[in-house]
Amino acid sequence: MSLDAIGSVGGSHAPGEAGYLSIEALSKHHGAARSVDSLSLSIEKGELVALLGPSGCGKTTTLRMIAGLTPATSGRILVAGNEVTAVPTHKRDMGLVFQSYALFPHLTIAQNVAFGLEMRRLPRVEIRTRVAAALEMVHLSGREDRKPSQLSGGQQQRVALARALVIKPSILLLDEPLSNLDAKLRDEMRNEIRDIQTRLGITAVFVTHDQVEALAMCDKVAVMEAGRLSQVGTPEDVYERPANPFVASFVGRINRVAVEGRGNNAVAFQDQLFRTEHSVIGPATMMVRPHRVAIGTDDGARSGTANSLRGHVVRVTYVGDLLQYDVDIGGTSFMVEAATRGIAAAFRVRDAVRLEWQPADTLVFGAAP
Amino acid sequence: MNAVPGAGASRRAVLALLFPIMLVNLIGFIVPMLNLGLLSFKEALTGGGIGEKFTLANWVTLVTDDFNRELLLNSVGVSLAITVAALVLSYPIALYIQRAEGLWRSILIVLVISPLLTSAVVRTYGWVVILSDQGGLPSLLNAIGLTAPRMIFNTTGVIVGLTEILMPYMIVSLLAGFGRLDPRLEEAAATLGASPIQSFWRVVFPLTLPGVALGCLLVFVLSVSSFITPKLLGGGRVFLLATEIYDQAIVTLNWPLAATLSILVLVLFGLVLVVYGRAVAALD
Ligand SMILES: Nc1ncnc2c1ncn2[C@@H]1O[C@H](COP(=O)(O)OP(=O)(O)OP(=O)(O)O)[C@@H](O)[C@H]1O
Ligand SMILES: [Mg+2]
Repeated sequence: MSLDAIGSVGGSHAPGEAGYLSIEALSKHHGAARSVDSLSLSIEKGELVALLGPSGCGKTTTLRMIAGLTPATSGRILVAGNEVTAVPTHKRDMGLVFQSYALFPHLTIAQNVAFGLEMRRLPRVEIRTRVAAALEMVHLSGREDRKPSQLSGGQQQRVALARALVIKPSILLLDEPLSNLDAKLRDEMRNEIRDIQTRLGITAVFVTHDQVEALAMCDKVAVMEAGRLSQVGTPEDVYERPANPFVASFVGRINRVAVEGRGNNAVAFQDQLFRTEHSVIGPATMMVRPHRVAIGTDDGARSGTANSLRGHVVRVTYVGDLLQYDVDIGGTSFMVEAATRGIAAAFRVRDAVRLEWQPADTLVFGAAP
Repeated sequence: MNAVPGAGASRRAVLALLFPIMLVNLIGFIVPMLNLGLLSFKEALTGGGIGEKFTLANWVTLVTDDFNRELLLNSVGVSLAITVAALVLSYPIALYIQRAEGLWRSILIVLVISPLLTSAVVRTYGWVVILSDQGGLPSLLNAIGLTAPRMIFNTTGVIVGLTEILMPYMIVSLLAGFGRLDPRLEEAAATLGASPIQSFWRVVFPLTLPGVALGCLLVFVLSVSSFITPKLLGGGRVFLLATEIYDQAIVTLNWPLAATLSILVLVLFGLVLVVYGRAVAALD
């Protein structure tokens, strides 16, 4: 593999460098099935880490083990150097926003939010002001006395968020807390969460399906695949320097072409050589982000260093700020994205085009020479 | 266009569908009840006869006669004790079944319901064997050096027997009312810092109240109206409304007094239903 040195993949933490929340070889087996398989992750105090991965890869199970709701089959969980694996949930001081909200149906919105504060035996006055502030933050003031069943899905989700944030836990676990909100509210809530989390120095794990969300608001992104950690790194790491084709294709759209590695920073595709910054030998995968590809008329001219391919447009999709072209390059489909400038698309179906991109944007995965 | 299309037609359909059960209720319940009501204002003659004249005598004795007042208080007291005992004993069982899964849950539910397949008479005789002076439980207590209190032919026996006999109804009602209970809610409470005990009283118990109300209603009503078990386990020494009605109607042949006591029971049930209705409304 060409990118083996990139990112702090699980388990590679140097000894003594353990973070505030540290997960060591955590596993959960359901019979023969391994929902979470030897997952190691270290999170610094005050850090917001996104847990990204396809449905069913074990994100919820991981959060539940951190919170102590699901016993781990093996492995350890440490908070500030102390093992908490056997500590019951209610003594862990961790807030959890459930994927299914889990609001108390018999309590009003205000009582739901106040629950954690009452458990902490805070004075009534303080509880009242903090509940009011929390509901204000999630734009639900004036609905204090309603029951959860009288709220919409998105409103319930915001109550769940307020209920977890109001207790100011030292560790906050968020299981797709914004999945049911519209784009605008989602943006606002993202900022609120980020704001509170940095202001109070809360260490947080944020599960999401939305890679834009993960990249935009988190200090680090952990990508999971089938119970295992594929890569942990800064948003830039996982986007620009993905550890493997899975991470590359999960974090953002990407073209994937089977190529032949020739060593010396070159790969071959359809008798044509492409330059890259990685050297591989034998069958390999070349990946290029659609928006890093320039699309132009096929006039024969080509710039010196860029990789280049010729093809013709088979589909044009207008998605508002972007135009997405599907280009056929000798039997293989290649995606290209261009910012829209005006109403009309620059190219139409069946137009002959030339695609160009830089060697630095050419990701290659295969066997090292 | 109507706000609700065909509302009139659907109401007629509802009435048509309800008609058979209304007819059955009219013939099998309303008419006999009116008859009983009428009977309670008739004069009782010696030897089981019923006088022609209307009189308030039966109702007056109900209020003035200490024995009748004691009957009412006894019945309510014993039934309340049975209801509470059945609730306390059934609640953990119901909660456990609610949390069981798959085949195990089905097996447990069948186990709970299976006593209902046996007649209450047979089960009561089972308790006679266990509770009688030479029976299982007193012998056991004596064997380990305790003096066993008398447990049969007194109120204790009636409460023990009826509690066990009515427990299946309580468990099934509790399970029916546990619908809103979701293990996620207890987990949520735990993440908010609630200990298991706090979580039980703040989350689990309030959510099970509909089941508790239903079970208590059912068991209270059933225990006020059961007479075979009190008769056998009370040995004629425990005086309750149901047993007294039976005695007045079958032994003493004082039908007007039996009718009066029956109406009293009906009024009692009406009051209980009102309390239940209020409780359920308050829970929502
Ligand atoms: N109690 C259980 N018994 C058996 N398998 C389970 C159990 N709970 C979860 N799993 C399995 O573990 C895997 C991980 O589940 P998990 O809920 O953690 O996924 P997830 O990453 O949160 O998915 P999603 O994004 O859809 O919420 C799934 O394949 C699931 O079927
Ligand atoms: Mg999940």
